Amino acid sequence: MRRMSVFPQHGTALGNLGLTANEIRQETENNTSELISDLVNLSARARFQAIRSLPMPFNEKKAIRNRVNSVKLSKTILAADCRQQVSRSFRRFRASLASARQHLIIWQDTLKGIGSRFGTSVLSYFLFLKWLLKFNLFSLIVNFCFITIPQIVHEPNISSITGFRGLELLTGVGYFNQTVLFYGGYNGEVIVSKPTYNMQLAYFFTIAAYLVLCGVSLLYSMSRSFQKNFVLETGPVSGGAWRLLCSWDFSVVNEKAIQYNKNNLAIQLKESLSERLQEKNQMSLSDRIKRLSLHLLAWLLSLGLAVGSGAGIYFLGTNQELAFSSNHDPSDLGAEASTLLLPVVVSLINLIVPLLYSLISKIESYSNPRAMIYISIVRNVILKMSILGILCFYWLDSVPEKTSCWESFVGQSVYRLLIIDFIFCLLGIFFGEFLRNVIGTMCIQTLGVPEFDIARNVLDLIYAQTLAWIGIYFSPLLPVMQVLKLFIIFYLKKISLSMNCQPPKHTGRAAQIQTVFIALLFFPSFVGALSMVAFTVWSLKPSDQCGPFQGLDTPFHTIFSWTDSLPEYHWVGWIFENILRSELFYYLISLIVLVITYFLWQITQGRKQLIKTLREQIVNEGKDKAFLLNKLKNLQKERREMASYRSQDYDQTPYFNPNWMNTLPLDM
Amino acid sequence: MGNKQTIFTSQQLDAYQDCTYFTRKEILRLFHRYRDLAPQLVPLDYKNQPEVRLPYELIGSMPELKDNPFRQRIAEVFSEDGEGNMTLDDFLDMFSVLSEMAPRDLKAYYAFKIYDFNNDDFICKSDLEKTLNKLTRNELTEDEVRMVCEKVMDEADLDNDGRLSLEDFQHMIVRAPDFLSTFHIRI
Repeated sequence: MRRMSVFPQHGTALGNLGLTANEIRQETENNTSELISDLVNLSARARFQAIRSLPMPFNEKKAIRNRVNSVKLSKTILAADCRQQVSRSFRRFRASLASARQHLIIWQDTLKGIGSRFGTSVLSYFLFLKWLLKFNLFSLIVNFCFITIPQIVHEPNISSITGFRGLELLTGVGYFNQTVLFYGGYNGEVIVSKPTYNMQLAYFFTIAAYLVLCGVSLLYSMSRSFQKNFVLETGPVSGGAWRLLCSWDFSVVNEKAIQYNKNNLAIQLKESLSERLQEKNQMSLSDRIKRLSLHLLAWLLSLGLAVGSGAGIYFLGTNQELAFSSNHDPSDLGAEASTLLLPVVVSLINLIVPLLYSLISKIESYSNPRAMIYISIVRNVILKMSILGILCFYWLDSVPEKTSCWESFVGQSVYRLLIIDFIFCLLGIFFGEFLRNVIGTMCIQTLGVPEFDIARNVLDLIYAQTLAWIGIYFSPLLPVMQVLKLFIIFYLKKISLSMNCQPPKHTGRAAQIQTVFIALLFFPSFVGALSMVAFTVWSLKPSDQCGPFQGLDTPFHTIFSWTDSLPEYHWVGWIFENILRSELFYYLISLIVLVITYFLWQITQGRKQLIKTLREQIVNEGKDKAFLLNKLKNLQKERREMASYRSQDYDQTPYFNPNWMNTLPLDM
Repeated sequence: MGNKQTIFTSQQLDAYQDCTYFTRKEILRLFHRYRDLAPQLVPLDYKNQPEVRLPYELIGSMPELKDNPFRQRIAEVFSEDGEGNMTLDDFLDMFSVLSEMAPRDLKAYYAFKIYDFNNDDFICKSDLEKTLNKLTRNELTEDEVRMVCEKVMDEADLDNDGRLSLEDFQHMIVRAPDFLSTFHIRI
C-alpha cells in the first residue's frame, strides 16, 4: 500500500501549486474515500494490518477504522449485531491466544534487559543460544519418547558389573556403559505388545526424522535471513555515512551504554571519512607486494597450525585411547582417567590456537575491519572443522575393527569431549573474563575492560552443537547434557557480561554477520555431522554384540528387511523400490533443479537491469521536477507582475464614481 | 471476554486493539505506565474520554526515553499539538510504532519525521547537522561535521535536489537491514 504512505498533507508540493484551502481539503477527502474503499475490499486480517500500519495520528486512524466498519456493516446481509459480535469475539480470541503464547517464550524479560543494556549485536548471541536450545530440546523429547521409553519399559538391558563411581560423570564408561545413555544399551528386538513396536526401525527412523527436520529448519532460516539481510548492494554502499541515519540503536536505555555508542559512532564516522580520503591515495607496488606477502605468511601459519593440531590429535588418539579399551579392567581408575587426556588436549587447542590466530592477524594490515572479522572467522572455522574431521576419521576408520561395541565407544568419546568442553568454557569465563577484568581495572590500567567477542563465542557454540549432532546416533540421550549445558552457559554468560565485559566496538552490519553464523551452522557443521552419520548408517558394519542393529550388514539393511516383510504391492514398498532406489529418479530431479536454477538466475539478471534503469529514471524525474518547479515559479512571478502592473494602469485612468452625490460638500 | 476492568469500555479497547500492535493486556499495562507518570492528573476512568494531556517533561523522564538523544523529537512527532505534550492515544501510538511488530515502512515514515527537525517534509543539510550534533557531542570538528553531512547527501540523494525526500530515505533504509531492530524501544 505505497500510496498510503506518502500523504502530502501540508506538504510544500501542494502549497507550491497555489491551490486554495478548499481545493486541498477536497483533495484529501478524495484520497480518504479511495483509501476507505480499498480497505473495505480486503480480507478481515489484511484490513486490520493495513489500518494499523497507516502513518497517521491515532484519532485519524480511529476515524478511518470507524468509517470502514460502518461501510462494511451496511454491506452485510445478515443481522448487523450478530455478525459484529461474532467477528469481534473471534478477534478477541485470537488476541488472547497471542498473549498466551507470549507467556511460553522463555527468558523474555532477561533478553529484553540484555538488549537494552548492550544493544542488538550482543543480543543476537543470546538469541542464537536460545535457538540452539530449541533444537536440542526437540531432539531430547523425540528421542526420549520414541526410543528410550520403550526400551526402558519393555527390555531393561542393564547388566552393569560395577557400581557407580564419581568418575563416570566425566568419562562416561563403567556404570553408564550398558545404560540407555549409549547405543549399546539398546537392542533391536521387536517388542511384542498390542501394536508390535520394531525397535530397529524406531531407532533408525527417529534419528533420521530428527536430522531431516533440523536440516529443513536450518535451510529455511538461512534463506530467510539471507533474503532479509543481503539485499542487492547497488549504489555507493561502501561508504559509511548511512550509519548516521540508520544505525542508532534506540533500544539501548542504559546511560553508560548510550555514551559508549555515541563514541563508537563518532569513531566509525571518522574512519569512514578517512577511508574516503585514503581511496584517493594509490598504493605503490612495493607496498602492495609487502602486504600480499604478509597475508600469505599469515595464512600459511594458520593453516600449518590447524594441520599440526589435527595430526597431533590423531597420533594421541591412536596411541592412547585404544590402549585403554583393550585393557577393559574396570577397577583401573588411572587408566580410565587417562582417557580424559584426549578431550583435554582438544579443548586446550581450541582455546590457545584462536589466541595465536589473533596475534598473527595483528601483523597484517587490513583495508577495512569487516574483512578482518570475516577472515578470522574463516580461520577459526577451518581449525575447528579440521579437528572434528580428524576425530571423525579416526572414529570411523580405525575404531570399528579394534573394539567390540564400537558405537558405544564413539558415544563415550563424544560425551567426554562435550563435558570437558563445558568445563573449559566455565574456566574460560572465570579466567578469561573475570580475572581479566580484575587485572584490567586494578593492576594494568591500560588493558581496560575485556570486550565481549561475539564471533568467538558463537563459534564455540557451533562447535559444541556439531559434536552434539555427531553424537546423536551413538548416544541418543546426549541432548540432555547439551540442554543442561546451554542453560547454565546462558545464565553464566549473562552474569559475566554484566559484571565484566563491555560490548564490542565494531557493531556495524550485525544482521549480515548473523546470516553468516546461520550459514556456518548449516554448511560445515550440520552437513558434516549428517554426512558422518549417513556414512555410518550406509556402509559401516554395526557391532555384533550390542546395539539395535546386531547381525545386520549395515544399519540401512533394516529398511530392506522391513520392505521385504511388507505384503506384495504395498504402496510403501513400491515407492521404496521404484523411486527411492532407482538412479533414474535422481537424475531427473537433478536435471529439473538445474533447469529451474538457470531460469531463476536469468530472472535475477533481468531484475538487476530493471533496477539500474529505474534508478536512472528517478534521477531524470528529479531533474524534470526541478525544471517544472522553476518554470512554475517564473510563471507565477510573471503573473504577479502582470497583475500589479495592470492594477497600477487601472488607477491612472479616469474612474467614474457613481457615488458622486456624496462627494459634494455638505453645505451646498 | 475474561478480565473485568473498569477503565475503558469494550468498544474503546477494541478500537485500541485494532489501531495499535498491542494486545488487551499490554494496553492496560501501558495505561498504568502512563498513569504512573502523573497519578493525580490521569483519572482511572477513561470511559467518557477525558481530555488529559501530560506535559513533555513527564514523558521525557520515563526510563525508556530519558537518555535517548532524540526524546524531544520523538515526543514532538507523536504528540497532537506538536509540542511534546501527549494524550493517552498519542502515548499508545508512539510505543506501538516503536514496538517490534510495526512494519518497516511505518517505522521509516516516522524515523523520517523525527530526523526532519524543521518539519518541512524534507531532510536538508541543516537537519543532518542537527542530527549529527545530537549523536556526537564534541568528538567531531566543524569541518568533519560538514564533510559527513555532504557524504550522506551524496550517498542518499537520488534525485539530486539537495535534500532527502521520504523516498530517498526509504531507499536508504532498504540497504540497512538492522533498521527494524534498532528503531525499537521496549516497554
